[in-house]
Amino acid sequence: MSDVARHAVSGQPAPPGIGERLRKDYFRSPQQALISILGLGFFAWILWTVANWAIFSAVFDGDASPEECRAASGACWTVIAQRWRIILFGLYPFEEQWRSALACVTVVAMVVLSCLPSSWTGKRLAAIWLIGTALFYVLMKGGLLGMPLIGEERWGGLALTLFIFVTTCLIGFPLSIVLALLRRSELPVISKGIGLFIDAVRSLPLLSILFAFAVVVPFMLPQWLQAGKLYRVIFGAALFFAAYQAEIIRGGMQGVATGQSEAAKSLGLGYWQRTSRILLPQAMRNALPATINQFVISFKETSLVIVVGFFEILASGNAAYGTGDWTFAYREVYAFIALIYFVFVFSLSRYGAYLERRMAVGEL
Amino acid sequence: MTNPAARAVTIEGMNKFYGGFHALKDINLTVDPGEKVVVCGPSGSGKSTMIRCINRLEEHNSGLIEVLGTPLNDDVGNIDEIRREVGMVFQHFNLFPHMTVLENCVLAPMLVRKTPRAQAEAAAMKYLEKVRIPEQAQKYPGQLSGGQQQRVAIARSLCMGPKIMLFDEPTSALDPEMISEVLDVMVSLASDGMTMICVTHEMGFARRVADRVIFMDRGEIVETADPETFFTAPKNERTQQFLAQVTGH
Repeated sequence: MSDVARHAVSGQPAPPGIGERLRKDYFRSPQQALISILGLGFFAWILWTVANWAIFSAVFDGDASPEECRAASGACWTVIAQRWRIILFGLYPFEEQWRSALACVTVVAMVVLSCLPSSWTGKRLAAIWLIGTALFYVLMKGGLLGMPLIGEERWGGLALTLFIFVTTCLIGFPLSIVLALLRRSELPVISKGIGLFIDAVRSLPLLSILFAFAVVVPFMLPQWLQAGKLYRVIFGAALFFAAYQAEIIRGGMQGVATGQSEAAKSLGLGYWQRTSRILLPQAMRNALPATINQFVISFKETSLVIVVGFFEILASGNAAYGTGDWTFAYREVYAFIALIYFVFVFSLSRYGAYLERRMAVGEL
Repeated sequence: MTNPAARAVTIEGMNKFYGGFHALKDINLTVDPGEKVVVCGPSGSGKSTMIRCINRLEEHNSGLIEVLGTPLNDDVGNIDEIRREVGMVFQHFNLFPHMTVLENCVLAPMLVRKTPRAQAEAAAMKYLEKVRIPEQAQKYPGQLSGGQQQRVAIARSLCMGPKIMLFDEPTSALDPEMISEVLDVMVSLASDGMTMICVTHEMGFARRVADRVIFMDRGEIVETADPETFFTAPKNERTQQFLAQVTGH
């Protein structure tokens, strides 16, 4: 049966064709038509300008000289071909950069694996994270299996960005759940105290927290308690992450009806069983959009470690065009770095959207 | 351990306050094993609060509550023990929306009683058949009608093998055409000999099933009688007024 015939049978009007819909949505009146055409023109102009710069007038020859590049009116992608190793690996020794690349693959694999619903049991997640983090650390640091030792101060580029992000989340996320639960404690001393702590952390800029952990903490703690600077900075970032995420989770918990916990109590479930099986799963569903947002923000905030002397990907990018003959090609380097950020953050957003669709069916 | 020879529920001189508000006043009530008690009364009379005290969803301030011979006090072990033996069905069902019907049913037996999954699922299917809804086992609560959800909630409670069932206005949130399917399940549960304490406005159910009807008003038990006497010859004036209101139409 054709579409038209089916609609004739069911008595519904046939859906309008694409031309009809366009006319109805964008060209209903002369004013509307004018705005539509102007908007379309503006959009086409931007698209053309970007495409012209990035593709049509650009230099793609990986061996072109800076002079040849400068002569072209478009982008000079030669700089990426020549300096991508600095952008991705920073100050990491050249001959060992395969380790840094492998470490990046490890982190990405670890994140992808832990995003798969089939790995969502405590044991599997713990195994994935433990093995993943250990593998990353061994690859980056070396000192065994014939790999030369490379200290954290020489880590850099994408590997460092990913490492800071993942460890911040791995420490910060469980911490945020603990903070959110303590904040709901029936003992006022605990709930008020934790509330004060969260508000205190939230009222400080992340920059000052990073500074404090990098520079001030060494004066306050005994030697044996001071981890390396990188780990202190990560801990500071994790604390900041946890303070915000705790409030997001608490909001999610408030959205869970009190009847849920009453039903669980009436069935004889204890506090931890109620919390882990009934309260948290539902709170996390409520908090998911804001949680994805928090992850995205944290990923981009890793770039702040530049102020305490770490060469994550953005700082490595600065170094890539800042030395020698390529100082004019900063646009291309930043475009390349933006693309890398975009790939990670966009994947994260799409994953969040996938989770929301899944939850709409109830399967989470 | 709970004492099998004991009374199902004993409440003596129990009082409950919300701040300065005296919500339950000197409640005395005993329920024998196998007995069916219907509690009715105007809204705000304390009937829900009273049965919620029996499994410690509300804490009483003074007086004695004993369930199956175990006193309900600050001993957490006692509270856990009582909750394992006392099932509860709520006005708003309170199914766990993130789990399938079957998962809802096996959760507590597996976690609390450490029943192996296969055995817990077999028991769950038996009770889902009892409430005539086995074909919905793999669905999520949000996919079921109110009446279906409430029947699942009853099955979920039964999966723990409770000796006493509390019903807190189980049909009040249902569309009229779904009330009877839930009441039918409750009637069949009663005929199996379950000890039941039901807060309900379903007077037909009370007549048919109850051994005793209790009328509460302003936090007090005003009248206790067998259903025949209660509906035909209520002694208290407030009971008479209430009955005129609920059966008047």
